Amino acid sequence: MMGMRAHFAGTLLAAAAMAAGASAVQAQSREVVIGAIVPSSGPFAEWGRTNTVTLKMLEKQVNDAGGVNGAKLRIAIYDDAARPAQAANSLRKLVGDDKALAVAGPLTSSACEVTFPVANQLKIVATSQASSKPGVAKANRPWAFRNTVDEGILAKVSVPYFKKNFNVESVALIYDAKDAVSTAISTRIMPAVMTANGVKVLNEKDPLSFNTGDLDVSAQVTKLKSLNPDGVVIGADYSQAVTVIREMKRQGLVKPVIGGTPLISSAILKAAPEIPLIAPATFYATMKGARAERFVAELQPLLRKESGLPPEIEPSMYDANIYEIVSMYIDAVKTAGVSGKPEDLEADRTKLRDHVAKLKGFEGLGGPIGFNADGDAIKAFYIVQGQNGAWETKVRGCSSANGGGC
Amino acid sequence: MLLQQLVNGLTLGAVYTLIALSFSLVMGILGILNIAIAELFMIGGFLGFAAIAAGLPLPAAVAVGMAGAAAIAFLIEKIAYQPLRDAPLITPLLSTLGVSIILQNVATNVWGSDPLQLPAEWFDRRFQLGPVSIGAMQLVVIGVTVALVALLAYLVQRTSVGRALRAVAENRDIARLLGVSASRITLLAFMLSGALAGAAGVMISLHYAAITPYVGVETGLKAIAVMVVGGVTRIFGALIAGPLIGIVEVLTVAYGGSQVRDLVVYGLMILILLLRPQGILGGARTDLGQRV
Repeated sequence: MMGMRAHFAGTLLAAAAMAAGASAVQAQSREVVIGAIVPSSGPFAEWGRTNTVTLKMLEKQVNDAGGVNGAKLRIAIYDDAARPAQAANSLRKLVGDDKALAVAGPLTSSACEVTFPVANQLKIVATSQASSKPGVAKANRPWAFRNTVDEGILAKVSVPYFKKNFNVESVALIYDAKDAVSTAISTRIMPAVMTANGVKVLNEKDPLSFNTGDLDVSAQVTKLKSLNPDGVVIGADYSQAVTVIREMKRQGLVKPVIGGTPLISSAILKAAPEIPLIAPATFYATMKGARAERFVAELQPLLRKESGLPPEIEPSMYDANIYEIVSMYIDAVKTAGVSGKPEDLEADRTKLRDHVAKLKGFEGLGGPIGFNADGDAIKAFYIVQGQNGAWETKVRGCSSANGGGC
Repeated sequence: MLLQQLVNGLTLGAVYTLIALSFSLVMGILGILNIAIAELFMIGGFLGFAAIAAGLPLPAAVAVGMAGAAAIAFLIEKIAYQPLRDAPLITPLLSTLGVSIILQNVATNVWGSDPLQLPAEWFDRRFQLGPVSIGAMQLVVIGVTVALVALLAYLVQRTSVGRALRAVAENRDIARLLGVSASRITLLAFMLSGALAGAAGVMISLHYAAITPYVGVETGLKAIAVMVVGGVTRIFGALIAGPLIGIVEVLTVAYGGSQVRDLVVYGLMILILLLRPQGILGGARTDLGQRV
């Protein structure tokens, strides 16, 4: 009898152990899929490639720490080459094939303007890591978000600093006509904010422009010089702005430059170190703060190890933004009752959207993050000055309407 | 400001001239458009940049850019043209388009998509001539272009190699009957055009002290417009059309805005095609060389 009882107990224990093992295996085989759309090729490839390294680092960190609710995190990354149609196709693939819970990206405002309506149609959260053209998320509620601050809000803080610090009474505008946010910065935002601050815009009716990829901007800079402005507004991403700044230096137009967030990079600081640059940023590689410094310390060696990236590469603001976006999604999966079951996918996506929409005080790399009713981030930002090879914080601001929440 | 803009236009036009000559050389002899020339220009620029960064003097950097681009042109001829020479005309055009995309991707992977920048000391000395400011590098660009065009003119008009090139362009079969090796001449045309594009790349990258992997497409398309305006198979038409397009482009940007720049430049090309399809120096219809 004793033998039978022992045998029965042993069988029970073995069955329990097997069940526990099977459950563990099941949890491990379950996946939480987050999608990402980044431009790993094309003109913004540098940003896309560093975004990719950042996401792989985050994926490893999360999985090494036990995954998301016991399930493995998989970040499915697609290259949109900064092409709007390719970004929209990538989103469809992430929704249909990868069964992603939410998507980080796309990066450019031009791509967001085409992709966000698709996100609304397919009912999946898409949060851009870089788009800052006014109103892009607002036009695509309730599924579109941006972990960035509207350039209009940033300019209201950067322009007074620019005017006061460099005694600027007049500016001239030059911009990349093929880029949505650059066009918005130079033709709408800056002229309005400059005028409101009593700065004369010398070519408001006829701003100078060039096209993405142009290496020769000599004609534009010659005309810029003939206007004799106290400062220059450059609406362009840093890689295009480098061309303008170098031509300014070549033609002897050494005047302070102001622009939007796309100017922020370490590469632009080398273009003409004696020309002061003013731009807003929510993160930059030499930023102070425990979270930011740890992020840079972990990511920078990985970026520098990756082939295809320059040896002096540093984490960009958009790496920080995409890291925060996916971290927010993971937080939502853990705390918003997301089941992760295939049959609950639609309901899970809705729970995730509601969580992100109501998010307040999420610990980002540069301070707490939330979202306003337009889908744009409420977070701290910094007006930084680049000169003699380094960025330095000059003013701290908060993107919320009442200045709170940062 | 107008005089300064003319100097800007002349410099830009000089670079267009060299790339247009590259296109003309292959077009004149084979009747095909080697699209990859635009990217050979870009690769030449990166190689010249690398040479300067390694401490080599300017003439050596130009030689490195030319030799590197010529070597890649050699491979293009062997891989993307020669096996397809009996295929319809569109086939080698598409294969060179494929090569150009590959070259752009290779450059992005090797050098990154950010602009490579030369240090500040590479900003050249400038000379003030009344209201006009001209940089030493601008003078070098114009000077090297004139020298290379003169060298090419001498090669084509006065040497046995040039006679062979012209013979193959005129009639491949008769040239072969006269003992000219059509295959070798074709290869030579590819390599010469590659070297010219490489030289243009070095010039432009050093002039702007910056280069990106995406510089080839726009500049290459403009050079094709220069070739058409000058006369597709008239090699030296580019000498007139290059500065013309460069100045038209710069003046359009200065007085009309960059939004209408391409409209004016390519509009001019279409106008020439409609009114004088043989180009300024003629030749598009009358002496288009047979394919080798």
